[in-house]
Amino acid sequence: MTITVYFFGSLVDITGQSKKDLNSFSDTDALNLMLQNEYPALIATKYFIAVNQQMIKANHELNNGDIVALMPPFSGG
Amino acid sequence: MGEKKIKNIFVEGAISSQKIADSIQTHASKTNIGAHSIFLGQVRADEKDGKQVASIEYTCYLDMALEKMHEIRESIFAKYELTCMHVYHSLGNVLVGEICLFVFTSSKHRKMAIEACNELVEAIKFELPIWGKEIYQDQSIVWKENK
Repeated sequence: MTITVYFFGSLVDITGQSKKDLNSFSDTDALNLMLQNEYPALIATKYFIAVNQQMIKANHELNNGDIVALMPPFSGG
Repeated sequence: MGEKKIKNIFVEGAISSQKIADSIQTHASKTNIGAHSIFLGQVRADEKDGKQVASIEYTCYLDMALEKMHEIRESIFAKYELTCMHVYHSLGNVLVGEICLFVFTSSKHRKMAIEACNELVEAIKFELPIWGKEIYQDQSIVWKENK
């Protein structure tokens, strides 16, 4: 099982990467907790999570091939 | 259902005034248009702790941004009687004083064009996954936040 995680904006600076392949995560809460353990600066940072380009507001089940994006508030324009 | 055509709105670097002029000129042949509304976003030399912004570097989540822009485009066309709508946003580095966003709506009459343009700009700023990193003259950085 492979899940691809993309980091955007300031989260690239925090994690030192823009993409990470992970395996065996049941849901976004578990994935988020693991990432916050690995990169504690994430805890104090505001960000949204999208699964396959859809913003999620609550915990979301993850399946093989899912693309998860961690995105700080948008600042285009 | 018609085939979905996803337009790319992104351009590398600043949007040139020539591109804007050319875009206006292109519409001269569309004689049912009576009003254009144009919004231009320009990189501002903000100051912080005595330092000045030199440029903004833009990045985006391309697939999601284009998909979302498509949805915004459809909803604006459904809501307003527009003849056409064009959106360009910069990616990469844009220097202070240069244009980073170009929104262009055209309609028979001014009200539709102006209101659609305003709504588009707000949607672009708050709904598109784009991030701006302010780069100061001493190379320090601050991630931009939209207000």
